[in-house]
Amino acid sequence: MHDPAVRSLLDMFARIAATMEAERDHLSDLDGAIGDADHGMTMALGFRAVVVALGRLDAASAKPADVFRTAAGAFLDAVGASTGPLYANGFLRAAQRLDGCDGLDCASAATLLDAMAAGIAQRGKGSRGEKTMLDVWLPAAEAAQHALADRPDRFWTIVLDAAERGAAATRSMVAVRGRAARVGERSIGHIDPGAVSALMIIRAMAESFKP
Amino acid sequence: MTDGSISANRRRPLRTPAAEGGAGIIPLRFGDDPQVWACWLYYEDRLTQGEVADAMGISRATVNAYLADARERGIVNITLDPHRLASLTIAQELKRHFGLHDCLVVPSQEPGDSLIDSLGSAGSLVLRRLLRSGDTLAVTWGRTVLAVASATSITGLQDVRVVQATGGMTASIVGSPEACAARLAAGLGAACVPITAPGIVSSAEMRDMLMAEPLLRSQFAALGDASRALFGVASLRPNSTIHSSGFFDAVPLQDYLALNAVGVVAGRFIDVQGQPVRGPLDERLVGLSLDSLRQIERRIAVAGGIDKVPAILGALRGGYADVLVTDAATGKALLDADGASALPRPAPRSTAESTEGAGQAEVQRRHVKKFLNDPDDIVDEMLDGALRAHSDYLVPVQGARRAFMARTAPRPGRVGLVVGGGSGHEPCFLGYVGTGMADAVAVGNIFSSPPPDPIARAARAVSGGQGVLFVYGNYAGDTMNFEMASELVQADGIPVRSVVTTDDVASSRAEDRDGRRGVAGNVLVFKVAGAACDRGWPLDACERVARRANARTFTMGVALEPCSMPQTRRYSFSIGPGDMEVGVGIHGEPGVAREPMQSADAIVDMAMNRIFAEMQTAPGDRVAVLVNSFGSTPLMELYVLYRRVEQRLRTKNLTIAANWVGHYCTSLDMAGASITIMHLDDELADLLGHPCDTPFFKVGP
Repeated sequence: MHDPAVRSLLDMFARIAATMEAERDHLSDLDGAIGDADHGMTMALGFRAVVVALGRLDAASAKPADVFRTAAGAFLDAVGASTGPLYANGFLRAAQRLDGCDGLDCASAATLLDAMAAGIAQRGKGSRGEKTMLDVWLPAAEAAQHALADRPDRFWTIVLDAAERGAAATRSMVAVRGRAARVGERSIGHIDPGAVSALMIIRAMAESFKP
Repeated sequence: MTDGSISANRRRPLRTPAAEGGAGIIPLRFGDDPQVWACWLYYEDRLTQGEVADAMGISRATVNAYLADARERGIVNITLDPHRLASLTIAQELKRHFGLHDCLVVPSQEPGDSLIDSLGSAGSLVLRRLLRSGDTLAVTWGRTVLAVASATSITGLQDVRVVQATGGMTASIVGSPEACAARLAAGLGAACVPITAPGIVSSAEMRDMLMAEPLLRSQFAALGDASRALFGVASLRPNSTIHSSGFFDAVPLQDYLALNAVGVVAGRFIDVQGQPVRGPLDERLVGLSLDSLRQIERRIAVAGGIDKVPAILGALRGGYADVLVTDAATGKALLDADGASALPRPAPRSTAESTEGAGQAEVQRRHVKKFLNDPDDIVDEMLDGALRAHSDYLVPVQGARRAFMARTAPRPGRVGLVVGGGSGHEPCFLGYVGTGMADAVAVGNIFSSPPPDPIARAARAVSGGQGVLFVYGNYAGDTMNFEMASELVQADGIPVRSVVTTDDVASSRAEDRDGRRGVAGNVLVFKVAGAACDRGWPLDACERVARRANARTFTMGVALEPCSMPQTRRYSFSIGPGDMEVGVGIHGEPGVAREPMQSADAIVDMAMNRIFAEMQTAPGDRVAVLVNSFGSTPLMELYVLYRRVEQRLRTKNLTIAANWVGHYCTSLDMAGASITIMHLDDELADLLGHPCDTPFFKVGP
């Protein structure tokens, strides 16, 4: 008997992997402007490994926490780099927070977004305004809390809107973390590839979670 | 007069008209072109048009027409100093794009005091232009505003008042509101109206009570009359002076950051769109409101520095400033950030920046040829090949993906040295595993740190009971993964120490040594650390000497062409035909600055000057030299570089105790090279000379 939440999560990771594969060159091009041009490859590789590992999971008995724990390990081992520990920590945090939940409603989506943002921020010791993926994850997580309280009917519209604005805002920021920080002022005017891929992940989440 | 054009800086006369042929006969060297002759006499010999007419035996009107035609034909090109020109262009563009009343841009310079000083002079120039008798000028606080005040000395204005825009703060702060207003009033011969209250009071009630005081009311009435405002723009970035300004002590700036505040204008927080960010301070601040600021006729913002870009954007978008004084780099960044840059760039970045539609325009689609099977397999196939090629030295670490150890490891009683990093740098890092250098290596994807698991397994495998030393380059990814591995290994009771290499002098300023990245100098640090481990030194001593080796190692790199990733077989960015990328790292990423290509000797001189600026040597000191290719630069060119490096070291009376020239730490197929100098002391020289035997680094016994 499949846990419906597990089914949604497997669907979500499959969507993310497909998106990263499709956007691989685009993300790498964005990265080439301010980094080492491998972000698309890293993300595609990482989520491909996640999907492979999840395929080996016994979906019949798995819980949402198992899905995230498996994803964390597979992503980290495939990727390394800075993206690996950051997302792995996000997934691990999600595993802790979603332990025991069944079915994915807006409340668990808000919890998931919050766990991801917190896990990434903790591992990278980052905050918003630094031209990173956190400029998408943090506003999206906050918007999710507000939407949950005020407009649950428009939950994903509000979350996606915040995530999109967060990604766009990185264009005017100066990178202070990671490799892009080395080009300093020359990072201005370029959107952050990590923020763009974070937006893609949240979009895939929305697709999988929408009833 | 090469290329049929002459420069138009009119010099002093060199000879009289009579010296040149007779009137009307064109000297042979001008061919039969009277326009060129006219231009020569006018621009080079600096004759007047009348004298030119006499010399050529023609009328003045004809001379005038010749000179005009010469401009059109391109015989004469008038050039402005490029720095001035860029400033003018950027100022014009800023004025147009943000609908400013006026804009003044000073040429760029190093951030710091000199930038503040030149902004100060420029700000005082603007005041001279915009202040009239009878004006009331509202003034905020800060180092930049104080610089304007200090640079200002204007006489002849009558009935000018300078009003503090906010209450005061502790006098120990440089650029307090009181100091700024008083200094400026003195420089203008104006009356000074202070705001005799603290800038921030303890409660809204307290503020309301103070505002009811007649004295404050009259001072605020003066502020309400302001026809000019002068203010700085503060950034909320972590290293910004706002945090040490004293004004916001005891205010949780994090609260404002969480609300997307990016900057502060006149003590008020704004976001990048210029919207006010409301917070607990609003009711406790004694000073000009943002709405009142916007009502002032001329609002002069003086601010520069890249960290302030989002804050200045907010100030411009919100309409708080209608006159901007900034520097060229900041101005250009403002335009870039607003997507408005129409300025010519030295070499456009070859990337599609928009989220929709990747790879338009200038992305280079020509594939670079490579020896490949499936590009996704390249790292594993490379490692398989290396393992076979160097099976005398290397064996895989059991159970680990992509970790290798020396056949001689573990060695009981000795500290194990584990190095590692991304692939694409070969022979870094696996080429340095053997005896007397690294005991094990963990290898990641191309230009990506290995994950914690192989690092931890390598560490356990080479632990000889005396602990394990990690040495790796300073990158966000490597730091996270090696730290996680260190925690895993220490949980097993094996002591681990880490030394992060930071030899790249270009990657940040000398004060931020710990923030620099590790590049080719890595290799020499591995050598020193490996020798210490090989001699059976305890973990503490191995760590200490590795740290000192790193602190005394300086590297500077220059790229001529970018590298291409196996998966894309495209260059990751482009370097213009006449350009080079200075201060480049080892990941095919853009460097610190794009500069025109120069001769090999000039490039070495630039690198060595930079290194000498930081490396404090005395005549007779010993150094080790590493001239390293980034991949496609051949040994022939490396020797040309080494030649000049050696000359420069010799003129300083430095002794080269050891040198290495070749491929030591590469960046795939990047063209370019780096120069590393390690400043030796007795211990480092001794350890560098200690025997070692690895696939790519050997020192004989």
